[in-house]
Amino acid sequence: MERTCIKLNIPSDVFYLEPVRAFIGNLAQHLGFSRKRIADIQLAVDEICNNAVNHGSVSTEAVISLQISVRAQVLEILVQDAGTGVDWLTPERLSEIEANRSPKNESGHGIFLSKLLTDTYEMRYNAEGGTDVRVTFYQEN
Amino acid sequence: MAKTDLMMLREDSGIKIIEIKTDLSSYAASDLRKMLEMLLEQKVDKVIVNLHQVHHINSTAVGALVGVAKRLRQNGGDLKICELADNLTRTFNLIGASTVIEIYESENSAITAF
Repeated sequence: MERTCIKLNIPSDVFYLEPVRAFIGNLAQHLGFSRKRIADIQLAVDEICNNAVNHGSVSTEAVISLQISVRAQVLEILVQDAGTGVDWLTPERLSEIEANRSPKNESGHGIFLSKLLTDTYEMRYNAEGGTDVRVTFYQEN
Repeated sequence: MAKTDLMMLREDSGIKIIEIKTDLSSYAASDLRKMLEMLLEQKVDKVIVNLHQVHHINSTAVGALVGVAKRLRQNGGDLKICELADNLTRTFNLIGASTVIEIYESENSAITAF
């Protein structure tokens, strides 16, 4: 299969995360991922997008960009935010969240979950001052 | 009986039971949090959240449940959850929240456990 790229731009608002999750789930199903793996993919993307909205963008005027690449047995998703959020996840803040994560805490589980559920997870700060999170999911044989 | 589009609130044996009728990503989780906060303000001490119609839950919604369970226990009450699909159980287990919140296979067993 040749590499195919789908681009989605959504307003930075959790209202739009449900349709994104539905689309990703339908796409993964169409590509032949298992039911269990589809649930993992949907949860990981939900968590990453939720962080992009809550930490990476200051208002609904900001845009969250998703680039979804499909190639043989691999689904790769890049989520980019504008980096204008008031509670932006600096490297120091990220280290603090990960070090202090506890099941008893109400928050701080999103990145932990995303890393667990993906085959590869990469976070970078982009040239525009925002955050890029690139994840891949490999299809089981 | 109070009812919203997303969740229904009823009572059984003196326990408030919230039946969720939507998947719990962050948008719906904010409504769940509001309903739980309302119950806390009303000094309700026993709550069960029935998730049998929920196919997805994220960490924001799990966090809301954990937070309210902790606050209820401080006053001698509790929040229990029941009827989780396998992938929801997996999410609670991965986060570790299944060590903080009691999970039951059926609503009846959750009621009996109070």
